[in-house]
Amino acid sequence: MENVIKANGGKDLLSGVGKRFRKLLLYALLYFVAITTVYPLLWMVYTSFKSNQDISMNTLALPTKLHFENYLEAWKTARIGEYFFNSILVAVVSIIFTILVGASAAFILAKFKFKMQRLVYTSFIIGMLIPIQSILVPLFIQMRNFKLLDSRWSLILSYTAFGLPMAIFILESFIRDLPSEILESAVIDGSSVPRAFFKLILPMSRPALATVIILSFLNNWKEFSFALIFISDEAKKTLPLGLYNFLGAETNNYAGLTAALVISSIPVLIMYLFMQEQVIKGMTAGAVKG
Amino acid sequence: MELISRNRKYIFIGLFPAVALYIIFVIYPIVRSFFYGFYEWNGLGEPIYIGLKNFQDILKDNIFWLSFKNNIFVVVASILGQIPLGLFLAIVLNSKLKGAGFFRSVLFIPMILSTVVVGLLWSTLLNYQMGVVNYILQSLGLEKLALDWLGNPDIAMYTVCAVIIWQFFSLYMIIFLAALQNIPNDILEAANIDGANELRKFFSITLPMLWPTVMTAVVLCISGSMRSFDLVYVMTQGGPANATELMATYMYNKTFSVYKYGYGSAVSLVIFVISFGLILISQSLMRKKNSDR
Repeated sequence: MENVIKANGGKDLLSGVGKRFRKLLLYALLYFVAITTVYPLLWMVYTSFKSNQDISMNTLALPTKLHFENYLEAWKTARIGEYFFNSILVAVVSIIFTILVGASAAFILAKFKFKMQRLVYTSFIIGMLIPIQSILVPLFIQMRNFKLLDSRWSLILSYTAFGLPMAIFILESFIRDLPSEILESAVIDGSSVPRAFFKLILPMSRPALATVIILSFLNNWKEFSFALIFISDEAKKTLPLGLYNFLGAETNNYAGLTAALVISSIPVLIMYLFMQEQVIKGMTAGAVKG
Repeated sequence: MELISRNRKYIFIGLFPAVALYIIFVIYPIVRSFFYGFYEWNGLGEPIYIGLKNFQDILKDNIFWLSFKNNIFVVVASILGQIPLGLFLAIVLNSKLKGAGFFRSVLFIPMILSTVVVGLLWSTLLNYQMGVVNYILQSLGLEKLALDWLGNPDIAMYTVCAVIIWQFFSLYMIIFLAALQNIPNDILEAANIDGANELRKFFSITLPMLWPTVMTAVVLCISGSMRSFDLVYVMTQGGPANATELMATYMYNKTFSVYKYGYGSAVSLVIFVISFGLILISQSLMRKKNSDR
């Protein structure tokens, strides 16, 4: 008995030292990953305040004087302001469509029973698995047939259509769990079904709608492939596409480029700052079923 | 429910906009791409039916096979890079660590940035002459390691994969973190009492219990890698010398640079089949392993 205790004691002592060493190693690795993640982003932000001359002299150094004119130049000369406006417009209109169209479909799928219900639902959900690249060519031809190339509608319609699977998935499961009695009694009291949808179902679905809005905004804001093939008119380009041009035109203008990168990240960073938990939960949930 | 079913006309009204949009802009294009794949078409004139010729050409095209190989490389690098890294970070953050919440928030930031921003940022950081990476390596006296990260065909693919991992590892970290929090504490405590060490606990308790999550992560890696068009297009456009060509960039070049719409559609179809095939195979393989346990 004594022996056993002794042996255990010795082992504990040994693993105590090992434990401290392991903890140190874990911390070192964690800090390494954190620095590799954060430093590039910090570099982007502080470089955007340096002059190109300062950057070429020492890329790592912090700015000695804040060159706000980089932002002005990016906004005006590099047309980032215009791209920014286009991105906001396309993202917001697409979100409104996705919400209205997606929520009404989700409502019907959740609270009504009809033939082919399963089929309709499943075909929407499978949409989350489709690699967008595999339908770029036919969708381009489709947009050309509709004479929508170089129109913001090409982006709005495709963002809405490709946002629907995710919106319907999230909203359908949420609305299904809302008690049916509320809806029934509203209808008995003389409310029409559309009225009940707008006055009851939509307000009650607010948490799910928030998730859909966040996910749609992030997706639409970063979308590049569709914009690349549908839009060639400078005046209608969205931010990702406009940024891409920036690289081709002014390869060595790091000050302007980093300012443009910061400008285009500000909306998503603000969103993340205020709704971090919803963003993280929404994105992981959105990814896991996809 | 009877009152609702009396209002059947609303089924049609409520579903119509969503179904119409979805058919016009998602389903119909997929079906059409199936047909275009059997035609030779420059996008303007009359398409000419050529049967399976496009697909035969794809099989004989070395650049297609190179891009296929690169796609598989991205899949493997994502699985071997993001999953272990994500799992490691999740375990570290799940242990009672000071500042875990802070690390979690900060590490997630690359996920929310647009891929074009990430691509442009890393293109500048990795620039051969002016980039921060080489500047740091040189100041550490490691001049030999200051390579032309994106310009050297031998290493460009590794560089691209590293950036992909940098952008997406935190997604896996969060997924594993959520799964770890679902492991009941008393199991691990019982193992502690039995004197199991950390490694033993990881392999006999944590990993088996996380297995379904690992399976999801593998599927995510596959479908995510098949979509990594934006990043490669921004950073290298598939170059240098096709070294980072992916099936999607290859398809894009064939269609929109040399106007082979029929051929591009055929490649699209192949991408579609391969990604669905990989997802199905990985799911059934993982399921088998899962039931073995």
